Amino acid sequence: MTTPTYDAIVIGAGHNGLAAAATLASKGKSVCVIEKNATAGGMARNTTLAIGIQAPEIAHLLYNLHPKVKKELGLGSARAPLEVRDLPAVSLSENGNHAVIRNGKAELADGGPHPEAAPFAELMRRLTLFAGLLGQLSTKSPPSLEGGLTSLDALTELAGLAKLGLDLKRMGKRDMREFLRVLLSNAYDLILDDLEDGPLAGALAADAVRGAYAGPRSLGTVFTLMYRLGQGGGAQLPLGGMGAVAAAFETAARAAGAEIRTGTGVARVRIENDRAAGVVLEDGTEISARAVLSNTGPMPAMMLAGAGHYDVEAVRRMRNQRCKGAAAKVNLVLSTAPVFTGLNPELMAGRLLIAPNATYVERAFNPAKYGELPKNPVIEAVIPSLTDPALARGGQHVLSVVVSSVPYALEGGWDEAAREELAAITLETLENYAPGISALVTECQVLSPACIEARTGAPGGHWHHAEMGVDQILTVRPANGMAHYRFGPEGYYLCGAGAHPGGDVTGLAGRNSALQLLKDRVL
Amino acid sequence: MGQHDRYDAIVAGAGHNGLTAACYLAKAGLKVLVVEKNDWIGGAAVSRSLHEGWTYSNCSYVCSLLRREIVRDLELPKYGLQVIPYEGGASFSRDGDYFAYMSDHDALRREISRHSAQDADAYDRFSQTVIRQCRFIRPFLLRNAPDPTSLKPRDIGELLFLVKQAHGLGKKELGETLRFWSMSIGDFLDEHFENNLIKAHIAGAGIIGTGLGVYSPGTAYVLLHHYMGDVDGAIGAWGFARGGMGAISNALGACFEEAGGTIVTGSGVDRFLVSNGRVTGVALDNGDEYHAPIVASNMDVKRTFLQHTGQQHLPGDFVKAVKRFKIRGSSGKLNIALDALPEFPAAPKGAPFLRGDLHCAESLNELERAYDDWKEGRWSQNPYFDMLIPSQIDPTMAPPGKHMMTVFVQYAPYDLEVGGVRAGTNWNGQTRGAFADCVFDKLEQACPDIRSKTVHAEVRTPWDIEQEVGLTEGNIFQGELTFDQLLFNRPVPGYAQYDTPINGMYIVGSSAHPGGGVMAAPGANAAREILRNIGRGGNMTGYAA
Repeated sequence: MTTPTYDAIVIGAGHNGLAAAATLASKGKSVCVIEKNATAGGMARNTTLAIGIQAPEIAHLLYNLHPKVKKELGLGSARAPLEVRDLPAVSLSENGNHAVIRNGKAELADGGPHPEAAPFAELMRRLTLFAGLLGQLSTKSPPSLEGGLTSLDALTELAGLAKLGLDLKRMGKRDMREFLRVLLSNAYDLILDDLEDGPLAGALAADAVRGAYAGPRSLGTVFTLMYRLGQGGGAQLPLGGMGAVAAAFETAARAAGAEIRTGTGVARVRIENDRAAGVVLEDGTEISARAVLSNTGPMPAMMLAGAGHYDVEAVRRMRNQRCKGAAAKVNLVLSTAPVFTGLNPELMAGRLLIAPNATYVERAFNPAKYGELPKNPVIEAVIPSLTDPALARGGQHVLSVVVSSVPYALEGGWDEAAREELAAITLETLENYAPGISALVTECQVLSPACIEARTGAPGGHWHHAEMGVDQILTVRPANGMAHYRFGPEGYYLCGAGAHPGGDVTGLAGRNSALQLLKDRVL
Repeated sequence: MGQHDRYDAIVAGAGHNGLTAACYLAKAGLKVLVVEKNDWIGGAAVSRSLHEGWTYSNCSYVCSLLRREIVRDLELPKYGLQVIPYEGGASFSRDGDYFAYMSDHDALRREISRHSAQDADAYDRFSQTVIRQCRFIRPFLLRNAPDPTSLKPRDIGELLFLVKQAHGLGKKELGETLRFWSMSIGDFLDEHFENNLIKAHIAGAGIIGTGLGVYSPGTAYVLLHHYMGDVDGAIGAWGFARGGMGAISNALGACFEEAGGTIVTGSGVDRFLVSNGRVTGVALDNGDEYHAPIVASNMDVKRTFLQHTGQQHLPGDFVKAVKRFKIRGSSGKLNIALDALPEFPAAPKGAPFLRGDLHCAESLNELERAYDDWKEGRWSQNPYFDMLIPSQIDPTMAPPGKHMMTVFVQYAPYDLEVGGVRAGTNWNGQTRGAFADCVFDKLEQACPDIRSKTVHAEVRTPWDIEQEVGLTEGNIFQGELTFDQLLFNRPVPGYAQYDTPINGMYIVGSSAHPGGGVMAAPGANAAREILRNIGRGGNMTGYAA
């Protein structure tokens, strides 16, 4: 038997794949990352819209990068430089009474106090407290249900759960009861119990469901809201665009000694004697390794290894995974800076939300259920070139827009006409808040969930690789019995957002899976 | 104050839960009074004669959830209760076909295969899962919900029981259980079945009575809530109470009076009398006052505390929590007197499934769209309904040869939207008529001659049910069945064991654990708590003793 070329191969150079590679390499393992696209970064890349104009292709803001990952990989240090700017969130209102959220506090766009500042602050206090508590679970493999007190692993997990229970008790009866009440409930009711149904409520409702196939009335959206608030909820704009984040992860992985090969994807994972033995590239090249980690979605990961290596139940569970992408990206080049009614330059550069109330957000989701486009969509827009002029030139600007509740399975399919319709709807909606903006558009790129799937391989074009519903998190992410990153054959691991703790640019799934792999002594 | 107006306990409201609690208390030797605002007892479990010769179960209309332990304890059959199971049901499609549900397994498989061979296999897997989940949940119905923040031995004991039951499932099942409880019925059915008609037929049980859509996570649990009952031990079976649902209330009433209890009807509670943090009795609308150290309210938690209790007696946090409790009116009803049995051209003549629950929903999307309409304060132009003709099985409901039909409509908003304004008072003769027309139009899809055979129809909207029965928003469960309002969260975290911030005052209605439906479990559980708290737990007879 020949010695494998690498200790581990990582399929896909998304940020989680890179985090996994960096983690393994820093422990002295030889690692090779295989990326089918020409550049690394997955959803955290830049795209060139016109000569000299860069836009964040898919993801455009950073809000959940985990401090542990940042520290362990050295992101933002001299080793892997990364600079970010904090952005305020501005929830736009057609009457110009915009609500501004800064550091979890609400104010009005003219700097005046927001009438609901106090109840908003109290709501945020509770939610960030609960989010912090749940955050404990995010840096470890999720607790398994595999009872028995015989193994050290099970005991360690139990200890982790006991600590959670203890911290829960320590919050005091009042907060503990509130935690147990809201944990599985819906964002709409939670928000409207305390706030008027206006832009402030709309902003929270929109944050709760962005990237999700859910409306704020769907149960489980309080959880997704808390997940988003994991690091406090403030959004950060990386200088150099999201591409800079990908570059930092890439630099960290290379600095740790990982190799990255781009331009050719993996055709299949070689399984020998029920063990991962390496990969075969699309060009036929074979690379051997003692372990393989897949940064793809769970179902594609299963298909790479071959469904024959999984039991019937596992295949059925994968097939039934909910991963309908529900967010599209519209990237625009503007000939000059737009004017949003009632916003000063500082706020104009902020995270702009079109979610005038929570009911609007729920209504925007309705058509998605039937494969239709929202007429009045929820929008998160940012003009990164205002903060980071290097992204554009000649006075031009980039407007990066995330449109929520856009269905993957559009009735009639995603053709050019459908994309044009989405662009038109987006501009029409923006016009209400920035009259004349359409006339400034010189370039327009529309990425439907189907396009996102085609570009990144994410199943359904879903940001989180699999819906972050209560039925698909923690111990049942990606599926019941598969939650420990171990993915079927020995030595095969899932390291992407489809694994615990889930999506967003956190780096945790990659890091955790690498640690689990090391713990399992596969190498 | 005379001796005659002093009691050991007073129950406000003669719904089935109030009567159940009253029965247990009276049988334990307490002197108990039940007060009821209507001239009749039963709350939403009533038989009413609103058109001469016909009996309408004009609120609740079928029986399954009523806990058999309670039926046995209170010997309800002795007082005239007889539940007759019905078998089967069907969903009719616009193209003239139907899907029939039958309780005979082989017949059902054949029928499913007629629509999809794949689904016939899937049905076995589906029903295994559902039955397993039913078995898991049933033991909790007659137990207290533990308070997870408490270190009292009893709460810890209940928590351990929960853990033990969960552990008993095995690790694989436990994972599936977590998933099942948080899923939508739509996703759950999509996982199993491919045929739209079959999915739509089953999905109804996931939404009936709630303010949720078939694709709202959490509706798989609601399905369970409708499946966890039984008729004569057949889990998931449903039946008719002979003589209408009022037979249940009448049996409870007779049992109560035989145990020495008193019922006063015709005047409701104006306010609960509280002094120094203790309840002392009730003052009625007609000015009468009755006194007792224990008062149990069968009204929902909002009505009890926001309308009939002085706010000065309640902690601010508690009032806030009660205000947050979600009770959403989502269903309406048509009760129809028929001159003759309507024709169902799609079905074989005299098919047995016509004696069961009939529907006209063809897809999950259709149901979800009806929910979207409800969210906006409208009824759907394409409504979902659960229709039965009980007089086929129980001829006492109508004159000889004639029939009675009950049509439960999901969804009907409580605060109807008219011209941009949402209000319960928008329900008037005109809107009620338009609502009924819309339902009749769809009924004609299954039985084209329905209009010509109708001699009388009573239209009931959530607003009407609230006005008559007193259920907030006319919600049949006295509160949504979502996780934030179940178990230790029901009705208010910290007060999930039938107690309230006022000493001696209790909640015995289905706002309390385990929730709504004609189950009687909240009433029985509350009686057990009351007797325990006054040190007479030993006097309790039956299942809980």
